[in-house]
Amino acid sequence: MKRRKFDMASAPGKAAVGVDERFQVATPLRRLLNKVFPDHWSFLLGEIALFSFIVLLLTGVFLTFFFEPSMTEVVYNGSYAPLRGTPMSAAYASSLDLSFDVRGGLIMRQMHHWSALLFMAAIVVHMLRIFFTGAFRKPRETNWIIGSLLFWVGFLAGFTGYSLPDDGLSGTGLRIASAIMLSIPVIGSWVTSSVFGGEFPGTIIISRFYIAHVLLIPALLVALISVHLGLVFKQKHTQWPGPGRTNGNVVGERMFPRYAIKQGGFFMVVFGVIALMGGLFQINPIWLFGPYEAWVVSAASQPDWYVMFLDGSTRLMPAWEINIPIGDGYVIPPLFWPTVVLPGILVGLSTLYPFLEARHLKDRKSHNLLQRPRDVPARTAVGAMAVSFFLVLTLSGANDVIADKFQISLNAMTWAGRVGLLVVPPLAYYITYRICLGLQQHDREVLAHGVETGIIKRLPDGRFVEVHQPLGTGDGHGELEYVGWVVPKKMNRLGALGPAIRGFFYPIEKPAEAPVSPGHPPVEPRPEREEIGSGESRR
Amino acid sequence: MSTQTEHQKVPRSRQSVDVQDPGLTRFDIVREGARRDDIEIVHYEQQVLPGTKAERRLTRTIASMFLLTGLAATAFLVVYIWWPWEYAPGRGGDKWYTPLLGITLGVALLGIGFGILTWGKKLLPKEVSIQDRHEGAVAADDRIITGQTMLYMADELGVKRRPLLGISLLAGLAPVGAVAAAPLVGGLISDPHKNNQMFTTGFAPAEGGEKVRLVREDGRPVRPADISAGGQITVFPGIDHGVSNRHADSPTLLIHLRDSDAQESRRANERVGHGDYMWGNYAAFSKICTHAGCPASLYEQQTNRLLCPCHQSQFLITDNARPIFGPASRRLPQLPIEVDAEGYFVAKSDYTETVGPDFWERP
Amino acid sequence: MTSDNDRRRGLLARLRGRPAARSRGRRRLGAAVRLLAALMLAGGAYTVFAPGAQAQDNPPLTGAAAEGKALFDVSCVTCHGRNAQGVEGRGPSLIGVGAASVEFQVGTGRMPMARQEAQAQRKPELFTDEEVRQLAQYVQELGGGPVVPEGDNLHSDGNIAAGGELFRINCSQCHAFGGGGGALSSGKYAPSLHPASDRQIYAAMLSGPQNMPVFGDNQITPEQKADIIAYIQETLKHDQDPGGFNLGRYGPSTEGLAIFLVGIVALVFASLWIAGKS
Repeated sequence: MKRRKFDMASAPGKAAVGVDERFQVATPLRRLLNKVFPDHWSFLLGEIALFSFIVLLLTGVFLTFFFEPSMTEVVYNGSYAPLRGTPMSAAYASSLDLSFDVRGGLIMRQMHHWSALLFMAAIVVHMLRIFFTGAFRKPRETNWIIGSLLFWVGFLAGFTGYSLPDDGLSGTGLRIASAIMLSIPVIGSWVTSSVFGGEFPGTIIISRFYIAHVLLIPALLVALISVHLGLVFKQKHTQWPGPGRTNGNVVGERMFPRYAIKQGGFFMVVFGVIALMGGLFQINPIWLFGPYEAWVVSAASQPDWYVMFLDGSTRLMPAWEINIPIGDGYVIPPLFWPTVVLPGILVGLSTLYPFLEARHLKDRKSHNLLQRPRDVPARTAVGAMAVSFFLVLTLSGANDVIADKFQISLNAMTWAGRVGLLVVPPLAYYITYRICLGLQQHDREVLAHGVETGIIKRLPDGRFVEVHQPLGTGDGHGELEYVGWVVPKKMNRLGALGPAIRGFFYPIEKPAEAPVSPGHPPVEPRPEREEIGSGESRR
Repeated sequence: MSTQTEHQKVPRSRQSVDVQDPGLTRFDIVREGARRDDIEIVHYEQQVLPGTKAERRLTRTIASMFLLTGLAATAFLVVYIWWPWEYAPGRGGDKWYTPLLGITLGVALLGIGFGILTWGKKLLPKEVSIQDRHEGAVAADDRIITGQTMLYMADELGVKRRPLLGISLLAGLAPVGAVAAAPLVGGLISDPHKNNQMFTTGFAPAEGGEKVRLVREDGRPVRPADISAGGQITVFPGIDHGVSNRHADSPTLLIHLRDSDAQESRRANERVGHGDYMWGNYAAFSKICTHAGCPASLYEQQTNRLLCPCHQSQFLITDNARPIFGPASRRLPQLPIEVDAEGYFVAKSDYTETVGPDFWERP
Repeated sequence: MTSDNDRRRGLLARLRGRPAARSRGRRRLGAAVRLLAALMLAGGAYTVFAPGAQAQDNPPLTGAAAEGKALFDVSCVTCHGRNAQGVEGRGPSLIGVGAASVEFQVGTGRMPMARQEAQAQRKPELFTDEEVRQLAQYVQELGGGPVVPEGDNLHSDGNIAAGGELFRINCSQCHAFGGGGGALSSGKYAPSLHPASDRQIYAAMLSGPQNMPVFGDNQITPEQKADIIAYIQETLKHDQDPGGFNLGRYGPSTEGLAIFLVGIVALVFASLWIAGKS
């Protein structure tokens, strides 16, 4: 037997060549490794959602090993004494077992629930970032639509998952969901009966929700998320305007190694935060709620936060019933408007917004540079209006808790919500608009006259003036044109657009060179500090 | 994953570098690779120089984070295996099981996360690269070629020339689509009006006309003496599975009103032709809210309001449970009750109004 | 205290503020005293002429009840009137409410009320346990009514699981699954069960204070009451939450707050650090 000498050092190289001969990956892999991503903290918000989705998948798979999606009646005989001997559905019993009889089951359940809340929260925060910076504009309208679909699919995932344990609180939610379906004109009763397999609650809904929750909806989510990320890749990320940054380039870091490492680390951080919350904060203590029984309810029955705005709209809706006097008479119940029509309008408005705005502004160009919210006061104000609308509804969804804990009359809370829903959004629009204009004004002022230094000078004629540090080069009046960049407003923010201000909360002064890209003018030279005035003692 | 529209052209006026050239450093090759992807690395700077004190300090910090991860993960395992975890009433150690797992797991993950982040952020060289987007870079030629190709294929199929093909294909496919949908729709669909289920509850008298008793959650029938004035009790139809979710629309609130309230209530009853619905000072109303179906059961015995905890609809019991606040638009149906020969409450008949949340065809 | 009171007087009293109410109270008190003096005179005369009558209708008060009456005459008479017959528009009659009611209302500091409002609030008690017992004895001897059984621990032989079921069907709709209480209509509320003692819970069920429905012994037997109290005291109050800090057991509203205040804030700071210029 001839033994060939095995060269350890060349093995990876040989393997790599072997792989490339078969799959021809060298070129696409190089492109992948080299892909440039712009760097900004707000670009990481979507990642929070992505990473919590991964945690959801991981913990969710664990939970499926122990959960029994069945409404068969069993008598609980597990270790949680206060419920022993209580008749309940197998789904609820297995959820209790998950919490008390499966080792580490409770933390898995809690992590799953917290990551679901985080998933939805991150989606919303990410969406706000996209909205207020105008990142949804052409060519990214599709991704905006997919993003808003992700919110609604996540909403469904959350609701179906929340209902699975079949406990007293989620059963109440399910009851309301059935009433919402019932309220749809003409087809309502057929829809409800078909979904629940007969009269509420029936015996099949948990199994149906289960398969939707663990297969159909996650598959849809995975598909949507893949397309979402694929499009980000394909269309390349937007970037903030700044020195050297144009509509036609991406300034940032190549994907490998630094960017990818940061992403990996951030995933671990998100996972860690979820683990901490899952262990330290109790969520959805189903054992206190008891099994779902149609006659049991608790004060302060609320859905999870991302459903709460619908609960709020339902609470605020006046009792306007529409009777149609044909034949025996038909009814459109008041429940229909805030729970079916309102979400319908919201879905429509949110998906169509990019097109509405482009149409309104007659804007057909592609935009890869973000806008500062102050530079588009109308959009920012509309966004503030939407946020305040959502907030009023969400707070109203918890208005009984607020009423109880802050000792306000419940009826007063409802009226405050009704009035607030009409008054607060326009107010938010107006205030935001004015703030935006004010900020714009100040930007231009600083560009024209320089940064306030805080140094007061007395002029020979006795007047006091504040010395301004001009930003311009000094020819003419030193006036600079506003180009959508951050304008330094304080002396220690000078040069902040450059790549390397050290320090987290406070910059450690050692600014480095601004990036210079061929074909683009370098950033204006940083003004010399000494210009401030000789003889002034400055540290 | 890569961007297909990019072309393999060498950007701008740069000459191609021969990557086989042994004189090149590895970074030169990296930079050349980047250039081939239209990336210019304009700024590349070591943050810490090899062998400096700063590098050693950073290395130690990162290593300690990784070691912390190891420690925390070990602690997780120790807790997981040896900590008493089985539920016991009271404030025992088992209540700390989940928090301890959370802390150890969280610290382990945060340790590795921040370790990696510090590594990437502080040890790796900083860079600024600029990549061209190549938007709209698809040559006009390409658009024309693709468009013409597609049109050509459509022509070849000749649907325009042979319309019968298209029509017949559609005619054939439409039923196939329906076939795909049929089992799902057909399987799921369920008649909501089977057995008149939306309009009846468990209190409907049996075939023989025998009246249904009002029973408590443990199945015992209810006598008038069981409820004090100002009290309320949840009652169910005394039938098979009456106290279960199979009759989710049947739970009823039986209220013993105080004298004056009962009189007011009776007068209100008479106004709507329900004069005989109460028995003595007792009145029974559906517990299922007419708004969204929650159990409206927060009975305030002095104001005689019934509050639903889900959406805060308030019903005035002494006025036929009329909604007086909140989103509910319809009063709670009243169950006509009487006392049978043995002294137990029975339902005179089923509810005379539809119980539960509203829907389109409710008469 | 009555519903009429709530509706008619709540707002008025609040608008007028306390001093006005008190001065009017004084005026009424004066009138009451004069009326009482006249009545006593008449009564005294009657007693003289019909020696047997009072002995039959109103048996003489026991020692404790006499002490209670003395307390009553000092602290309660303003609203509840002489001999606890009630004062129209101010306080209801206490004849027949029983010792349980007194024990709950006075023992939790709700009575004497500081002012007329939507609902009497729990306050630091004004009376010692002994005084509460004397007051209770007095009211009990006035017209009978429900009484809380002896002893401070009323749940020792309660069945927690049965109590849980009873709690969910009878109590949780107002006091919430976690026993933290909840809002009722127009500023009224179901209080938290956490500060309540066995006797107070028992007394509340028996007497149906404020807007709480009455759960007499005919409806929920003393054994079942013990079960419910056992569930409240042992499971809701004594059991530690197994899943960590319970966020006040307010349900999804605080959970939603937590995910933003803790989760999102922590991760936004993390991303600020990650993308920050180092």
